[in-house]
Amino acid sequence: MAGNVEVAHRVQPTSSRLTLPKLGEGFAQVVPALILILLLFNVPLVIMLGWSFYPLETPLANYEQIFTRSIYLKVIGNTFYIAALTTVACCLLGYPLCYWMWRLSPRWRLIIASIVVLTFWVSILVRTYAWIVILGNDGIVNRLLLTWGLIDSSVSFLYNQTGVIIGTTNVLLPFMVLPLFAAMMRLDRRILLAAETLGAPKGVIFWKIFFPLTLPSLAAGAILIFILTLGFFITPAILGGGRVPMIANMMDLLINRLPRWELAAAISGVLLVFTMIFFAGYQWLNNRQQAS
Amino acid sequence: MVSSRDARRKAPAAGSWTDSVGSWATTVVAVSVLLFLALPILVVIPMSFSSAEALTFPPPGFSLRWYESFFGDARWLQAARTSIIVAVASSTLAAVFGSAAAYGLVRGNWFGRGAIEANFLLPLIVPQVITALALYMYFARLGILGTLPGLIMGHTVLGLPYVVLIMTVAIRSFDVRIEQVALSLGSSWSRMFVSVVLPNLAPSLAAAWLFAFVISFDEVIITFFLAGAHETIPKRMFNELMLQVNPTITAIATLLISISIITISTLALLARRSGLLR
Repeated sequence: MAGNVEVAHRVQPTSSRLTLPKLGEGFAQVVPALILILLLFNVPLVIMLGWSFYPLETPLANYEQIFTRSIYLKVIGNTFYIAALTTVACCLLGYPLCYWMWRLSPRWRLIIASIVVLTFWVSILVRTYAWIVILGNDGIVNRLLLTWGLIDSSVSFLYNQTGVIIGTTNVLLPFMVLPLFAAMMRLDRRILLAAETLGAPKGVIFWKIFFPLTLPSLAAGAILIFILTLGFFITPAILGGGRVPMIANMMDLLINRLPRWELAAAISGVLLVFTMIFFAGYQWLNNRQQAS
Repeated sequence: MVSSRDARRKAPAAGSWTDSVGSWATTVVAVSVLLFLALPILVVIPMSFSSAEALTFPPPGFSLRWYESFFGDARWLQAARTSIIVAVASSTLAAVFGSAAAYGLVRGNWFGRGAIEANFLLPLIVPQVITALALYMYFARLGILGTLPGLIMGHTVLGLPYVVLIMTVAIRSFDVRIEQVALSLGSSWSRMFVSVVLPNLAPSLAAAWLFAFVISFDEVIITFFLAGAHETIPKRMFNELMLQVNPTITAIATLLISISIITISTLALLARRSGLLR
């Protein structure tokens, strides 16, 4: 943090006083990448959103279908339900892990953080795949439960909502843990020391100081998980086996199986609007956190 | 610095009974969560050396048959080749375009800079399935759907935000006065860029390139929509997983995990060298 202040301090006088920046300096370097992203991202996105109003005589017909037909409503509802449960699971699992990491010695902290980063870095496909082995009818969990006599016949965790939620939680948990842990590390430990020297019990310090201070980061993490789950494709496709359709999987169906491009485009539009609304909330929380 | 503070914090050890129960509970929960996170990796690696026909854990015996079946399968090898070609091409494109843009964004001071920077990061926020769909419709019209160049372009768009993010941070921390000294001593801009800026930013550039490489190498969704008949490793894995569970995938998964460990160690090394992590 001290480094940043120093850099800002060093750079400012030169760029604003000594050499007056030429208007448009640095613009030439941006142009190639800008053209690339406009042609390969912005334009395709706009064209697709244009498709969603097709046919033009009834521009909102596709959107009307999405919000009135029960199949689409069901998939959207299902997606939000899974996203909400995944978010709650990530909060409940992620927070204690971060708090524990925060209290470790620096060496152990580094080791555990490396493990979390590694899981984050390993392909989503690999992490999803492993759950087939773990949760399958002849999988590890079922055989353990059977040998312990907790169940009489194997329980199916796969190809239903439970499996999808376990998988998405596992895949997305690092997205919660890494930023939340970083936020905890930024916390000024002197505040907690002050409370301790003033004689506050540990529980009070945690609930009255530590938790409220880290709550905005937890909320930001929750929104991030929620957004990511809304557009999730791979894990529900593999662990849901087509029986737990989420928005992204329905889009695949509308494009590749029964070509209804305009409907797929409209669903993209809806998903995009939801994502942007939640992202605005995420940014707001982050800015507030940074300001404080 | 932190450790001495830690020691001081832990010094008043006379915690009450509820405190120690609370900290034990936290430890138990946290370790279980960590186990849950690492479980997929812990399960897949031993399974890949299994001698059994079916997926059973723990594996009944040791064998390398699934590695043999991967390296003996021409289709998997072709998929690996395509993956590497696409990843190398797209990450190189992203690194060149993205780092130039990052330089312009940091050093420039013109109207709309913030908006353009935000636009570069947009592919990170927009759900990938939407990007995939938009490119699918677009490429279908342009007639490049299912071609390798089309696939590379799609991956470049995904890699670009990471390069811009990493390089803007790196360039921001590089003192502009060093550049000005070179220029005022009579160097041309391009000479200054090549012999002053590039050597200093090389570790960050390598990190950005590697990041874009891995993003492309692991990518499933864009590839699934755009690749047509071309197969990359993740696309083939995804398609196989949808049909049946083939133990060969455990071998590939283990190979991918090793690649992840290698790349992440390299990244950590590069980050330390470039001064991004201290």
